Amino acid sequence: MALYAFLLDLSRCIGCEACAAACIAGNELPAGAQYIHLIEQTHGVFPHLTGGFKNHRCYHCADAACVKVCPTGALYKEDGLTRLNRDVCIGCAYCTDACPFNVPQIVDGRSSKCDACAATTKAGGQPWCVRTCPSDALRYGERREILAEAHARVEAIRARYPKARVYGEAEAGGLGVVIVLPDAPEAFDLPANPQTPLLLDVWQKVVQPAAVGLTGLSVLVTGVAAIIARRNHMKELAELRAQQAQTEQNAGAQEGER
Amino acid sequence: MGKVQLQISRRTFLKGALTGSAGAALALGALEEAAAAPSGKGATPWYYRGEIKRAYSVCDMCPWRCGVIVQSVNGRVYKIDGNPADPKSRGMLCARGQAGASFMYDPDRLRSPMIRIGERGEGKFQEVTWEEALDAMAQKLLAIKEQYGPESVAIFGHTSGEFWFTDYFAQAWGTPNASKPSSSLCTSPREEASLLTVGLPVGGHEPVDWEGVRCVTLIGSHIGEDSRNTVMQDFTRAWARGAKVIVVDPRFSSAAAKADYWLPIKPGTDTALLLAWINVLITEHRYDAEYVAEWTQGFDKLAAHVAEMTPEWAAAITELDPELIRTTARVMAEHLPQSVIVPGRHVTWYGNDTQRMRAVYIINALLGAYGREGGIYFNKSPYIEAYPHPPFAVAGSSGGCSAEPGAENGELPVGPSGKARADGARTKFLRGPTAMQELIEPMITGEPYPIKALIVYGVNLLHSIPNVPRTIEALKKLDLVVAIDVLPMEHVAWADIVLPEATIYERFEDVWTVSHKTPYIALREPAVEPYADTKPAWWMARELGLRVGLEKYFKWETVEEFVATRLQSIGYTVEKLREEGGVIVQKGKPYLSDFKGASPFKTPSGKIELYSEALALAGHDPLPVYTPVEEPPPGWFRLLYGRHPVHTFAKTQNTPLLHQLNPENELWLNAEVAASLGLKNGDRVWLENQDGARSGPIKVKATQRIRPDAVFMSHGFGHNAPGLSLANGKGASDAALITRYALDPICGGAGMRVNFVRIVKEA
Repeated sequence: MALYAFLLDLSRCIGCEACAAACIAGNELPAGAQYIHLIEQTHGVFPHLTGGFKNHRCYHCADAACVKVCPTGALYKEDGLTRLNRDVCIGCAYCTDACPFNVPQIVDGRSSKCDACAATTKAGGQPWCVRTCPSDALRYGERREILAEAHARVEAIRARYPKARVYGEAEAGGLGVVIVLPDAPEAFDLPANPQTPLLLDVWQKVVQPAAVGLTGLSVLVTGVAAIIARRNHMKELAELRAQQAQTEQNAGAQEGER
Repeated sequence: MGKVQLQISRRTFLKGALTGSAGAALALGALEEAAAAPSGKGATPWYYRGEIKRAYSVCDMCPWRCGVIVQSVNGRVYKIDGNPADPKSRGMLCARGQAGASFMYDPDRLRSPMIRIGERGEGKFQEVTWEEALDAMAQKLLAIKEQYGPESVAIFGHTSGEFWFTDYFAQAWGTPNASKPSSSLCTSPREEASLLTVGLPVGGHEPVDWEGVRCVTLIGSHIGEDSRNTVMQDFTRAWARGAKVIVVDPRFSSAAAKADYWLPIKPGTDTALLLAWINVLITEHRYDAEYVAEWTQGFDKLAAHVAEMTPEWAAAITELDPELIRTTARVMAEHLPQSVIVPGRHVTWYGNDTQRMRAVYIINALLGAYGREGGIYFNKSPYIEAYPHPPFAVAGSSGGCSAEPGAENGELPVGPSGKARADGARTKFLRGPTAMQELIEPMITGEPYPIKALIVYGVNLLHSIPNVPRTIEALKKLDLVVAIDVLPMEHVAWADIVLPEATIYERFEDVWTVSHKTPYIALREPAVEPYADTKPAWWMARELGLRVGLEKYFKWETVEEFVATRLQSIGYTVEKLREEGGVIVQKGKPYLSDFKGASPFKTPSGKIELYSEALALAGHDPLPVYTPVEEPPPGWFRLLYGRHPVHTFAKTQNTPLLHQLNPENELWLNAEVAASLGLKNGDRVWLENQDGARSGPIKVKATQRIRPDAVFMSHGFGHNAPGLSLANGKGASDAALITRYALDPICGGAGMRVNFVRIVKEA
């Protein structure tokens, strides 16, 4: 199965916010919801300045902390992207705490973030932000092609930006938003090494087992509904454990390669 | 992958309205037929909710006017996208274009014609029928005409239906006092300088040959914040190709952040920099000598003029490093003739702006840019006939941003009772573009003759014309004020009669014709029915015309008929234009080589006039001279203003989608200055100008990105119209603080960067 990804070229982005507007319009986002935020970045002291815009949005981590902590399956991975089914979101906000990039927001009691225009792309279209971007800072396609384009663009801007690099090739397990970064990640307010926060470990080791216990208790009280919930929790727990084992295995393999 | 998939084949578009998955695929610009609507997760996306209708039109969210495809389902517009066949949008749109539907569905819209029942300015109105409103307007206009002559009616217009009032109705009625803010409040210096220097207007679409350009110089143009779609596309592509970028701006703009060289110039000193650049180009023999010899005249006088204007001379004035001045001149020269100083757009800054723009064009000529690939092309108007109307009562329209009324024969248009324009063209200022701000005084003083009525179409008078108190005084004196608008803007409260307009997405409109490298004609058809009791401008102008005895100009009954007649002149029908993707692209003559030795320069000499004989004869400097402008006293800052990428003029601050993205403007204040004043980011302050005018509160943005001697805010905020439920009371109004302006003695432009403000912590 092919993995998909966005190309986000922060060397070209000129901060016009067309992407943010197209996203709101095309996806009919409710008032207050916004999946893309342009955040000015400035470094230095007048008149010796550098700067640009952070295009703050879901980065679609392969190793997505939000998916791991989501108790209802509202957040899930598909085609390498992190989808959100708001219908089953209960607004617990675990995802907002877990995300290493501080992306998901709770709007109208439910999680709110980019789902990579799931419906639009499945209908054969491009994500709305990509389709309208006047500066060609955004593209969307198969991840391997996006990565190749990102590397080509980095090479092309190296004369201007000696520190230029691709960000997201391996970070957080590999991002679904591959970023052409003209400067160090910190210069664009991006973590050099995005980590699943400690909290997630706490979640896995303490909160979830407790929740399982609680669920067990609730079986006695509320019957069938709770049985389903428990089944989901158990399934999720098993998945999380499997994922963790896989992650550790991967980490070990990577270390081995080094 | 990528943008390639955006190229929708013409045949795909021919299919027209479709239902179901194929329709959705078209709506999404997909090549493949879409899958059926997914079931289960989330609400059904709009493109699966029914038959998708797509209408071709031209965006009206800013005056740049990109071609769009407006997509509606069940009578509601959901998505507006760029038309891939359109030479401006090329399938993309800016944030404002994306928010067209949000603008149209703004619940604050004017919904019915209204007649004033309170005092002017109170905003108390009674809803009336169109018959009542138009009858009252016609009656009053005829009475004014009877007593003062038709010239006593002024017509101001902007946005996409302006033609019907400022051009068609004005000429038929017989007033030369029709004006567009795009002239003297925006581009008239660059247009007049261009006419004087190369004999050609710049035109609405600046003819920079971006595709081949190798060095781009911007003076105050903040591309990216000024989010004209095509220019952002062209600029970033040129940049990505490796073109050198030189940005001159007191502010580290979004474009400056992309620049290879940023020159943080002291405001008001640009002409000194330009003269020093000319000095370097000439003294170091770095200009295109062959081109200069063949296509220019006055070079020796220019060389003598700038001999002493060295980078060191300019450095003392501009507060720039002389080596940076020298280096950037050399970089420009290394890339000639694919090296251009972009003409800019809003260039009415200090009242000496025509001369500054002449210096810009002189450099472009020394670089050999005019008529060269990768330089500046010659634009051409598309071929299509005007509607065959009887001769107008006043010949010569109001002029747009690039036209000088009556320029063809050197005469200003004269009304039926023998009166020429009242704005002082050819008397107060040398040339002939209309000067909207100079039409306010005659409303108050009656000199040179009284203006008694004002029809305002889509111009926010109190956010665009400098000296708001004077405009209000004029509004109090007029016998008739009619406001035609979409929203209850500030000036609408001052009208006697309010006529609500249907937006461009709700009306058929005359075809849009663009003078361009590839001249083109675009269809403008409605996507949905007009909101409430709103009407198109053409309908209003015609109904008014029929009521004031101008039947002979309105033989056509609908604009479709008007358009069909025009299209017939080029062998087209509306249907054929629609089938071809909504745009007709014609061939241009962009380069010198297309003229086969003949001169494309329509100056008296047929050459680029580095030295202007016309200016010398009129007693003006024949070569650009640096004249110092007044400086802010200690404790005061020069007020600079400009764009935010998601807003246009004072028009879009209430549009829900755009309001969400940018609800209020900020005061850019140098970080060190802010610290010394005890101010930090987010503090709210008021501003007071040299005449005691106040505006605010506005949020402080303490930043390294601006010089210490100036402050900056985006234009169009600080609305105080109660009917604008989102924008009212948000941010500060730059217009309220621009009580002074410097009249350009050549073009009549209103230089507005001559106001100083101080920061007041409490209201």
